[in-house]
Amino acid sequence: MAKIGVFICHCGENIAAKVDCTKLAAALGEHPGVAVSVEYKYFCSDPGQESVKKAIRDNNLSGIVIAACSPRMHEATFRKACAEAGLNPYLCEIANIREQCSWVHTDGDMATAKAMDIVRSMVEKVKRNNKLQSIEVPVTRRALVIGGGIAGLQAALDIANAGQEVVLVEREPSLGGHMAQLSETFPTLDCSQCIMTPRMVETAQHPKIRLLTYAEVESVDGYIGNFKVKIRMKSRYVDMNTCTGCGDCMTKCPAKKISSEFDCGLGKRTAIYTPFAQSVPNIPVIDKASCIYFKNGKCKMCQKSCQLNSINFEMQDEFIDLEIGAIVVATGFQVQNTAVYGEYGYGKFPDVITGLQFERLASASGPTAGKILRPSDGKEPENVVFIQCAGSRDPSKGVRYCSKICCMYTAKHAMLYAHKVHGGKTHIFYMDIRAAGKGYDEFTRRAIEEDEASYVRGRVSKVWQENGKLMVRGVDTLLGKPVTVAADMVVLATAMVSQPNAKEFAKTIGIAYDEYGFYNEAHLKLRPVESSTAGVFLAGACQSPKDIPDSVAQASASASKVLALFSKEKLEREPVIAVNNEATCAGCWGCVLACPYNAIEKKDIRDRSGRLIKQVAYVNPGLCQGCGTCVTFCRSNSLDLAGFTEKQIFAEVMGL
Amino acid sequence: MITQEKYRTTVKELLASGSVKMVIGYKPGSTPDRRRPLFIRTSEEADQLVLDSTCMTNLSGYLVTEGLLSDEKRVGIFLRPEGIRSINILAAEYQLNIEQIVILGFDSTGRDVRPLEGRNAGDFSGLLSEIKEKPVQTSKEPLLERIEKMNAQERFDFWQEEFSRCIKCYACRQACPMCYCRRCIVDSNQPQWINTSSHTLGNFEWNIVRAFHLSGRCVQCGNCDRACPVNIPLRLINQRMATEVLDGFDHFAGLSPTQEPVLASFKKDDTETFIL
Ligand SMILES: Cc1cc2nc3c(=O)[nH]c(=O)nc-3n(C[C@H](O)[C@H](O)[C@H](O)COP(=O)(O)OP(=O)(O)OC[C@H]3O[C@@H](n4cnc5c(N)ncnc54)[C@H](O)[C@@H]3O)c2cc1C
Ligand code: SF4
Ligand code: SF4
Ligand code: SF4
Ligand code: SF4
Repeated sequence: MAKIGVFICHCGENIAAKVDCTKLAAALGEHPGVAVSVEYKYFCSDPGQESVKKAIRDNNLSGIVIAACSPRMHEATFRKACAEAGLNPYLCEIANIREQCSWVHTDGDMATAKAMDIVRSMVEKVKRNNKLQSIEVPVTRRALVIGGGIAGLQAALDIANAGQEVVLVEREPSLGGHMAQLSETFPTLDCSQCIMTPRMVETAQHPKIRLLTYAEVESVDGYIGNFKVKIRMKSRYVDMNTCTGCGDCMTKCPAKKISSEFDCGLGKRTAIYTPFAQSVPNIPVIDKASCIYFKNGKCKMCQKSCQLNSINFEMQDEFIDLEIGAIVVATGFQVQNTAVYGEYGYGKFPDVITGLQFERLASASGPTAGKILRPSDGKEPENVVFIQCAGSRDPSKGVRYCSKICCMYTAKHAMLYAHKVHGGKTHIFYMDIRAAGKGYDEFTRRAIEEDEASYVRGRVSKVWQENGKLMVRGVDTLLGKPVTVAADMVVLATAMVSQPNAKEFAKTIGIAYDEYGFYNEAHLKLRPVESSTAGVFLAGACQSPKDIPDSVAQASASASKVLALFSKEKLEREPVIAVNNEATCAGCWGCVLACPYNAIEKKDIRDRSGRLIKQVAYVNPGLCQGCGTCVTFCRSNSLDLAGFTEKQIFAEVMGL
Repeated sequence: MITQEKYRTTVKELLASGSVKMVIGYKPGSTPDRRRPLFIRTSEEADQLVLDSTCMTNLSGYLVTEGLLSDEKRVGIFLRPEGIRSINILAAEYQLNIEQIVILGFDSTGRDVRPLEGRNAGDFSGLLSEIKEKPVQTSKEPLLERIEKMNAQERFDFWQEEFSRCIKCYACRQACPMCYCRRCIVDSNQPQWINTSSHTLGNFEWNIVRAFHLSGRCVQCGNCDRACPVNIPLRLINQRMATEVLDGFDHFAGLSPTQEPVLASFKKDDTETFIL
């Protein structure tokens, strides 16, 4: 005989305000098989859990239903309580009467009636629950970090310094990401390269880190603790083992007029190149699309100049298979293409540039060696206009969200300009100044008070050229007047957007993303560094616009999650796995094809003399993730999912 | 007549040369316009073969009779284009090895029967692609059009009326070459998803489950229609599902023996109109 305990939680006011819990408890008390039905303010609290345990012991309950919030919140809590009271944890079910009932309904009576249905249906289910045992799976203690920007580097170093193996994959020829492009960084104005390059070198030399640059993740299979990852090593055409990075090839390469990605088009590079002088590894790659030999079959100047014979035009892409326990995704961001703002003249007027281009101008390693010179004629601009939110907070043309860093870097740009060009004038058109962060408001105040940045609150409607000047027409909303400023250079604070391939890439690794292509966290507040997929963590600007301190903090948080995972020898997994009925299986292999985890194999059934009678599907319990896809596919109803068996689901439905 | 005679000779040759162990065809039935299946193993049996426009039954279901193909010997079978599609699906679902099947293809217009070129499933891929582009019109078509024009309530009423006659004999299942499961979902009673009694709810449950199990698999051979003792136009439901998968996923059931089942596979560019 079933002896079910029903525990109805008020969740403070969250449930009790809509659902009449007393009535609910009384009604469930009458339900066949229910031995105990009680209500309480917070069952998840310590005394709440104690009362559940006591009820289990005192009444020798055969199963319990906690009518409360979503199982995502507290299923684990109550399962643990069950186990502590001597009841198999899988004999506990959660009836969600908060998210699926009290929160979404306004009519109390109807909400109460619905709650009754939900709880009854779970009582019917739990009556048919089986005692299940957790499954143990081994953990591969090797982390994969994808992306070699500051976030990826920090995560890799933290994990490696704790003694665990790391494979770091960067798709560009060098580590560094955006931070390597920056000049000086807010809020302290320390030089970006000076703090970045030592990190890059440390990573490359770390005995626990295997660095794969110019490489991309091809596929990810498996699950937490046991991922199988295929990496494509793109052919560099330069042998990494013998090249010393002397750079002779680059001086000899006749294709010299290629626009440099690293300098955002403000500088030039050769076809065989390293993105910047401090690249790690300092080994060039041949850009096949620009190489004269690859285009017309003649040249090979680089090969002739290389003393070490390191250049090989026959090189092919190679593939590496890795066994990985945890993944940190740190693939960063891009700046929005400013061409959508035709009225600002980006691309039409050479002296209208993006913030990132300004960083290159201000950087000592940049195309102007750190002098602020305008791209059109190389003259020092005497008057610079900055346009904030050129893309952000603009649902009509740009993106709806705030890019978070532009207020800060624009203030920084105004300061750098004031320091480098004495007597230069700055106007900053802004919507609001958002400078929340340690030392941030002080920083923007400094730009205004010490470096005389002139802030104009309002939007710019048009930029045009007149007598060699860029005329910027905007409105000063505080004075309520239109203003026109004649400038020598205009800097657009372009929005931070996700990588162009972000959504595709998310599908490759199997994680969720938002409408903008930023990767989703498991819970915005409580699990901000975990992705929606177990064992995959997020770091840096691939999740949302972030500055360096936030990126680094999140990277360290991800690293600590990885290390917590690696601190165990084996992982406990829920025993929710599919099982096949071999007697009824028709061997159609639809399930084999449908299973997203490749967990189903073909199994031979033989008679005693070893003769093959038939083949049936077999679910490998180590690989099955319990998604249930196969169960819904199987026409002969041969597959069933432990914990969600057909009998349980049927009882649940009939209980409604 | 000429086609029938020619094929009798072909069958005899096939058997004599040992290239097939049996040929599945048609013989006279209880009335002049009914045919029964004929299993030909000898030259004498071949003389009973009938091939005319009344040979409607899709015989492919007999191929999956337990043990028939397990000796790896070849079997010949008379098939209309729909039947060829059926064996392609059976092969794609690993129920038979397509190499073992020798096809004796035929088709008819009015009373005329004509042979189809080819012996192996692959020989008919051109023909099947043509049918995909230009579906054959069947006699039930006007009814389908009428149903399409109905609103949801009228359509529900129509099918309720039709299904009310169903006696749950499962002849439709027995007749369909795609219903080869060792245990059908209606025979599973733990839990009993589908009500066994023939009342409105149970009849709806059965016919809707059947439609889903056949979506992307039905070839409109009409075996179910003809088997149904109470004349429910069953094929039309499946035909509708066939149109859905064709429009949604460009899937034409039985186009090739290696086609992936539409419900178990996905392509990156599948439409996702159902995801809000
Ligand atoms: C103009 C400008 C000025 C800024 N100034 C400051 C400042 O002064 N102070 C501050 O704190 N912040 C500043 N920032 C913000 C700072 O750049 C970011 O916070 C930081 O770069 C984020 O680091 P990340 O590692 O997350 O991303 P990224 O720097 O974008 O690095 C991502 C890395 O991943 C690689 N990658 C991407 N996809 C893949 C893939 N599929 N496989 C392998 N590798 C991949 C990329 O090549 C790149 O190397 C500024 C940003 C801009 C645009
Ligand atoms: S889908 Fe069902 S019948 Fe087909 S192989 Fe899998 S378990 Fe067997
Ligand atoms: S439940 Fe079925 S489809 Fe899902 S992972 Fe397990 S075996 Fe694969
Ligand atoms: S459902 Fe009917 S028409 Fe379709 S394949 Fe089966 S028997 Fe033929
Ligand atoms: S053949 Fe007709 S009567 Fe029999 S079960 Fe099928 S639909 Fe019902």
